[in-house]
Amino acid sequence: MMPDVTAADFVVIGSGIIGSTVARRLAEAGASVLILEAGPRVTRGEVVARFRNSPRRSDWMSPYPPAPWAPHPIYQPESNNYLLQAGPYPYEAEYIRQVGGTTWHWAAHAWRNVPNDFKIKSLYGVGVDWPFGYDDLEPFYQEAEELMGVSGAPNTGSPRKKPFPMEPVAEPYAMRRIRERLVPAYEVVTNTTARNSRTYDGRPACCGNNSCQPICPIDAQYHGGLAAQAAEQAGARLIADANVYKLEHDERGRISAALYYDPDKNSHRVTGKTFVVAANGIESPRLLLLSASDKFPRGLANSSDMVGRNLMDHPSTSLTFDADEDLWLGRGPQSPSSIGIMRDGAFRAEHAPYRLDFTNISRVDGTTRALIAEGVYGDEFAQRLRHSAARELNVKNVLEVLPDPNHRITLSEQKDAMGIPKPQTHYSIGDYTRKGHERSQRDFRRIAELMGGSNLRFSKEGDFANNQHICGTLSMGDDPKSSVCDQWARAHDHENLYFAGTGVLPTCGTCNSTENGVAVALRTVHHILGEQGVRPVSAPPGQG
Amino acid sequence: MPDNVLDAPAVTRRCLLASLLTAYTASLIPWALAQPVDNADQGAFLAISAILAGRQSLNAQQAKRLYDALKADDEGFPKMARELLALINDRKIAPLELQQVLDGEKSPLAGVPRKIATAWFLGIVGAGAKARCLAYETALNAIIVSDVLKPPTYAYGVYGSWTAKPT
Repeated sequence: MMPDVTAADFVVIGSGIIGSTVARRLAEAGASVLILEAGPRVTRGEVVARFRNSPRRSDWMSPYPPAPWAPHPIYQPESNNYLLQAGPYPYEAEYIRQVGGTTWHWAAHAWRNVPNDFKIKSLYGVGVDWPFGYDDLEPFYQEAEELMGVSGAPNTGSPRKKPFPMEPVAEPYAMRRIRERLVPAYEVVTNTTARNSRTYDGRPACCGNNSCQPICPIDAQYHGGLAAQAAEQAGARLIADANVYKLEHDERGRISAALYYDPDKNSHRVTGKTFVVAANGIESPRLLLLSASDKFPRGLANSSDMVGRNLMDHPSTSLTFDADEDLWLGRGPQSPSSIGIMRDGAFRAEHAPYRLDFTNISRVDGTTRALIAEGVYGDEFAQRLRHSAARELNVKNVLEVLPDPNHRITLSEQKDAMGIPKPQTHYSIGDYTRKGHERSQRDFRRIAELMGGSNLRFSKEGDFANNQHICGTLSMGDDPKSSVCDQWARAHDHENLYFAGTGVLPTCGTCNSTENGVAVALRTVHHILGEQGVRPVSAPPGQG
Repeated sequence: MPDNVLDAPAVTRRCLLASLLTAYTASLIPWALAQPVDNADQGAFLAISAILAGRQSLNAQQAKRLYDALKADDEGFPKMARELLALINDRKIAPLELQQVLDGEKSPLAGVPRKIATAWFLGIVGAGAKARCLAYETALNAIIVSDVLKPPTYAYGVYGSWTAKPT
């Protein structure tokens, strides 16, 4: 059939927290904006109900089943083999293709990098430098924090010119005790989070549902669903169930159209003046590779052969132990506190830096499964469950991974249900990261000791849990030979093609990637509007 | 006796469970003896449930739902539950030793306690893609800690209430 045509000034591909924020800002400036989202619309209430009715409550993807026409990777109860693993180490990424994207399900960590994260090549001789520095991004961090509603404390190593929008979220009793008992060996800080410590932007303060992942039932934390809603309220048009499978270009290499399938696999064509690919660190490079043409046989934006390369995330190893006092994890938000002293230092020349992160996730379901597996029944069950629920603690590292071109996303020979090649990953854990893990074991032991810990259970040696902070596959840089886009996230190869998402981040540091992605995207929007002679409606603080 | 005696006089239903127990198993679950059951199969399930659950009161309606789900998954389940109860009756096996004994003897009944415990403690029946959730906030693991914790997605309390020492 002949495809139909829709047109807009800006076509944004992906409605996650970053794509939607870009769309919102562009629409607020008066542009016509069209968002194409592969997945469906889902409400918060539906997700809460799915979680409560899930037979796999510890599988936080279980409330987010993929749509057949827009699959995402699922590993339980069995893998759907959507993200193919080419090894040598599995990279079992999780993300969500639905309106609002993956931050429906996050701990709402909204960290800034520390300033030295931007120049690790110059300072430590590893990785790469960013094409700009902390000070360049600082106003956009602030803008992101005000949009998302971020609460935090000033003692986390990231300087700021204006205060946080909100005070830190009230510290759970368990975290207070950890902080008190670890001082002076370690300073435990309240995490910077997009979680309300008071009513903010019409959303309530946290009330301790302790299900930040997979879903905050009251929207006390910001997420992409809210960002998409804000974009639509600003005038952006959002088409759900629109799975973009190809970008077209004209003879000059300018992107001219996006082609998408609806759930019945009817093809539609959307034209635009400027295109923003914001489909996450796996789907965005996949789309560029899928869009190969005679003129661009390696895919779009890929003259450097860097599309999909330098894949990074945050691997973690951990220690679980029993404290010598009752702490009862599970009261208040899930991820409130961490230790930042190993996020930066001269040691970065030798091994990965890391953040140490304390969980406040209820131990009840996990302990229950363990006791049943052990065959503990009768009165003993209740006693053991209460003991572990009260005493069990867990601390993990969040390790930096260096950019490595061999870690990458490619196209698989296998196709998904729509007949589109699936993404494939090549990944490993490098020595730099492993050495960081080894160094952190010292901290794990010391923390357990200070908490009177017993029954120490280290995560299995060689196993690294993934944190789903997909970075680096569209890396920005000044050199078109070694990067995909410039410092404004504009493709080196295509004048009217921009990227928004954590894929553009040149390094991943030690903090969750979302706020970095949002701030960098806001910087991109500021640049685009300035270049087009449009004054941003909401200029970043200190610049407007 | 028919399989379902829904209209059985209450007194009969309440005496049925006790009649399935020996002095030993009755001593394990004296609080459960008056639980109403529809028939001997369900009675055996409830008796084992009470033994596995420890000193938890068991909701009769939830018991019926869990039993029906376990039976729907495996028609042989009622018979196995009866055999397991008979085994415990005969050999006076303590709850804490039960799984070890069954696993050690490679008993065909070894999977039965775990299925029943999973149903009561987690509210989940079935495994893998066939697993389903029949109880959440009324699953026993939530009840056992309910004086201190709320099940995730349920509000703990007003903002900041979690800063206080749990008592």
